[in-house]
Amino acid sequence: MCGIVGLHLKNPALQPELGRLLVPMIEAMTSRGPDSAGLALYDDEGMHVVKDVGLPRDICAAHGIASRSGYQAVGHTRMATESAITPEHAHPFTPVPDLALVHNGSFSNHASVRRNLAFDGITCTTDNDSEVAARFIGREIAGGADLEDAMRMVLKEFDGFFTLLVTTATQFAVLRDSFACKPAVIAETADYVAMASEYHALAELPGIADARIVEPEPERVYAWSR
Amino acid sequence: MIDPTQAGLRESATFDRATIASIQRAAETGVYDIRGWGAKRAVPHFDDLLLLGASMSRYPLEGYRERCDTDVVLGDRHASNPLHLDIPITIAGMSFGALSAQAKEALGRGATEVGTSTTTGDGGMTPEERGQSKNLVYQYLPSRYGMNPDDLRSADAIEIVLGQGAKPGGGGMLLGQKISDRVAGMRTLPAGIDQRSACRHPDWTGPDDLTIKILELREITDWQKPIYVKVGATRTYYDVKLAVAAGADVVVVDGMQGGTAATQEVFIEHVGIPTLAAIPQAVQALAELGLHRKVQLIVSGGIRTGADVAKAMALGADAVAIGTAALIALGDNHPRYADEYAKIGSAPGFYDDYQDGRDPAGITTQDPDLAKRLDPVEGGRRVANYLRVLTLEAQTLARACGKAHLRNLEPEDLVALTIEAAAMARVPLAGTSWIPGQNF
Amino acid sequence: MVALNEVGAEKAVEELVKVDLTTTSVRELNAELHAPTARRYEVHNPRGAEAIAVGLHDAVDVEIHGPAGYYCAGMNMHADIVVHGNVGTGVAENMMSGSVRVKGDASQSAGATAHGGLLVIEGSASMRCGISMKGVDIVVGGDVGPMSAFMAQAGRLVVCGDAGDGLGDSIYEARLYVRGSVASLGADCVEKEMRDEHVAELTELLARAGMSHDASEFRRFGSARQLYHFAAHNSAAY
Ligand SMILES: Cc1cc2nc3c(=O)[nH]c(=O)nc-3n(C[C@H](O)[C@H](O)[C@H](O)COP(=O)(O)O)c2cc1C
Repeated sequence: MCGIVGLHLKNPALQPELGRLLVPMIEAMTSRGPDSAGLALYDDEGMHVVKDVGLPRDICAAHGIASRSGYQAVGHTRMATESAITPEHAHPFTPVPDLALVHNGSFSNHASVRRNLAFDGITCTTDNDSEVAARFIGREIAGGADLEDAMRMVLKEFDGFFTLLVTTATQFAVLRDSFACKPAVIAETADYVAMASEYHALAELPGIADARIVEPEPERVYAWSR
Repeated sequence: MIDPTQAGLRESATFDRATIASIQRAAETGVYDIRGWGAKRAVPHFDDLLLLGASMSRYPLEGYRERCDTDVVLGDRHASNPLHLDIPITIAGMSFGALSAQAKEALGRGATEVGTSTTTGDGGMTPEERGQSKNLVYQYLPSRYGMNPDDLRSADAIEIVLGQGAKPGGGGMLLGQKISDRVAGMRTLPAGIDQRSACRHPDWTGPDDLTIKILELREITDWQKPIYVKVGATRTYYDVKLAVAAGADVVVVDGMQGGTAATQEVFIEHVGIPTLAAIPQAVQALAELGLHRKVQLIVSGGIRTGADVAKAMALGADAVAIGTAALIALGDNHPRYADEYAKIGSAPGFYDDYQDGRDPAGITTQDPDLAKRLDPVEGGRRVANYLRVLTLEAQTLARACGKAHLRNLEPEDLVALTIEAAAMARVPLAGTSWIPGQNF
Repeated sequence: MVALNEVGAEKAVEELVKVDLTTTSVRELNAELHAPTARRYEVHNPRGAEAIAVGLHDAVDVEIHGPAGYYCAGMNMHADIVVHGNVGTGVAENMMSGSVRVKGDASQSAGATAHGGLLVIEGSASMRCGISMKGVDIVVGGDVGPMSAFMAQAGRLVVCGDAGDGLGDSIYEARLYVRGSVASLGADCVEKEMRDEHVAELTELLARAGMSHDASEFRRFGSARQLYHFAAHNSAAY
C-alpha cells in the first residue's frame, strides 16, 4: 500500500533537472508510504536503483537524489502490508536488467503465480507480492515480449488490486486493474510525462497548470517510448 | 415413530441432520441460506483457557474489600476528547433496522446506567439511541446509509467499519421484511426491498487511502473524536498494523463467532478466525509498534461471561464488545416464547432468523406489534444488570489473580486446556511450559 | 491576507478572507470554516492538498483557486464551494446541501453517497461518479468513467458527454440522464422513456448548473427493479 511517482522526460534540456524534479514528487507521497522508499533512475549509463528503509526525504538526501540527472525515473513510498520492512522489500523491483516496477495495491493470487514462476525456475527473493509481478513481467520480456504486451499479460495472470508503473531503458508504462480503485494520475506536456498516485505529487512540476491530466482507465496500458 | 438411537441407527457425522436439512432447503429454494447469530460450530474459545489464581507465589486480593478497578480510556492517541468508560465492556454496533428502535434505546439505557458506550450500526443514528446513550459510537460503513455529518459531530467516537467477524469481506444485508417505512427512509431505499450493501467503501480502498479518509474525518470533527477501525478477524496481525499506520486511535477486532443480523450461512461458518486466535495476533502487532495499550484494542466475538472478559483482557485486550449476549439479556431466545418460536419453525436456544423480522421477543424486528413487546426501560434495566454481573465476575477472577485493576491481567495468568487453544492463544498447555509453535 | 489566528477574538465579520495554503495549514483553514468569521473565502495555492473545506455547515462562499486533492468539500452542508481546478477522489462525498462546482475534472467517486445539494463538474469525472448517491444532484459537463452511479439510491446524475462501462449497476431509484453515448449499462439498469416531467426536471437542472444543452438531447436511464428481491434466477447478477 503505497505511493507511486514516475517521470519520463521528453525534452533533453530537462535531463540535468531529473533528480530535482523527482524529490518533491516522492516526498509528497510520504503519508502513503512512510516505511521505506526506493527509486530507479535512468541515464545514458543505464539504470540506477536506490532502496532503503525510512522516510523518503531522508533517503533522497542520503543518496543525493536531488542532484542526479537522467531521462527517466520511477519512485515508490511503501506502507508495508504483509511482508517485512527491509530495503529488499522496498520497491522498485528490478529482476532483470533495465526493468523497474513499482506497485500500489495488493494482488490476491500472487502465491499461485509465485508457484508457477518457481516451476519455470524463477524464484523470488522476498515474500512481497509486487516482486512476483516484476518477475512475471521480467520473464515475458526476457522471452521477447515488449513491455506493453507484458503488461497486458499481467491482466490475464493476476487478480486483485493494482496500479503499476513499469519502466525499461526505452519505455514507461502504466496499468490499472479492472476495479481501478488504487489511484493514479498522469500529466503530459511537451516536455515530459509524469505519473503519481495523487495529484499533489505533481503540483510542483514546471508547466503543470497547462499539462494534459488524465486518470488512467481500467485495464488499459498507457505507454510511452523514447 | 421409532427412536433411532434405541433402534441402533447411526447418524452420519459428515451428513448430520442439519446438513441434510440444508441440502434439502437449497434444492427446494435455489437460494443460499441467510440467517442471523454467529458461527454455531465449535471452535477453540475462552472456555479452553484457565486462569492461574494466586496462592503462594502470588497474593490474591480480598473480594469486596479490596479494590479492583475497571475503568478504561479509549482513543487518547490523537483525539482531544477520548472516551472514559467505567467498565471495559461495551455494546457492539447493531443497526436500527436489524434491531427495533426500542431495542436500540434499551441498549443505550443499559450502557449508560453502568457507564459504558453503545454503538450505532449500518443504517444511521436514531434520536432514541442518541438521547439515551451517554457515550455513543457512530459507525461509518461502506453503505453510508443515513450517514449525516451532524450525527458524526454529535457522536462521542467514530468507528470505521471494514468488516465483521461473521462476514469479513462481505457487505451488509437486510431483507425486505425489515425495511419498514422508517428504516427505508433513513437508508434512502424503497420500502420492502431486499437490501444488498457494498462490501468496500465507495471512496477508498486499502490503508493508504484510509489514511486520507481518517484525516478527512478528523478535519470534519476538528480532531476531537476518537476514531476506531473495526475489522473482522482474518489476517489480524497485518490488519491491526495497517489500521494503526492509517491513524486509528482504537482497533476493534471481531472474531469469527461474532454475531450478525443477516449473512449467508456459508459465510458465517467458513470465513475468518476464532476470537481466541485473533487476540494474540493483534497484540503482537501493537506491541511491535510500541503501541500496545496506547492504541486500544477492543475484542468481540463470543463474549458471554465475566470469565471471557477477564481472559480476553489477560490476552491483551483493553476492552470487549458484546452483541449477541446483549440481545439475550434483552430477552432473545427466552423460553417464554417457546410456542411462538415453534410457529415459525424454531425453538428457544435455536432461534437465529434475525433476518426474518418475526422475532417473538420483539428485538430483531420492525413489526410495530412485536417491537412493542420490548419495554425500553425494562430492557435497559436487564442489560445494565447483565453488564454488572459480567463486571463483578471479571473482578472476582482478577482479584484472585492479585490484580487491583482488570487491565493488569496478563497472558502469564493463563494456561490452556487443549493444544489447539495453547497454540492459538500462545499460552502454555496447563501444567507444562509448552506453547506449541514456540520454545523449540 | 488575514492571518487566521488573529481573527478569533472579536469574530469580526470580514467581507472576504483570503487564505494562502503555503502559509496556512489545512487544519487552520477548516477550523476557521467551521466557525466562520466571514461570509466569503478565497483559498490560494491548494496544490492538491487533501481534505480542503470539509465538514462545512454554514452558508459561506468558498472559492478554491487551483487543484484540490482527496475529499475536497466532503460532507458539505449549506456552503457554496467553487474549485478553479481539478479535484481528487471523493469530491463532495456525502454532501447534504449547498453546492460544489468544479471548474476542471474530478477524479474517482465524485459525489459518493451524497444526500443532497448540487455538484457540478464542468469537465469530466472519472470512475464511480455518483457511487451510492442518496439524493444529490450531479451535473457533469463532460464524460463520466466506468461504474458511475453504482448502487445509486436517489437523486439525479446528468452527463452531458459520454458514460463509461457499467453505468448504473445495481441502481435503485436514482435517475440518470446522458446526452452522449453509454459504453454499457450495468446490471438492472435500463433505458427509460423521457416523459414531459423528465424533460422539465432536466431543463431545470441544466439551468441551475449553467449548462446550455437542450434537455431533449438526453436519454434517461433507471432501475429495472429486477434485483430488488433475492431470487434464484438472479444469481448471476450478485
Ligand atoms: C443483530 C446484529 C446486528 C449487527 N449489526 C452490525 C452492524 O450494523 N455493524 C457492525 O459493524 N456489526 C454489526 N453486528 C456485529 C456486532 O457489532 C459485533 O461485532 C458482534 O455481535 C460481536 O459478537 P457477539 O455477537 O458474539 O458478541 C451485528 C450483530 C448482531 C447480532
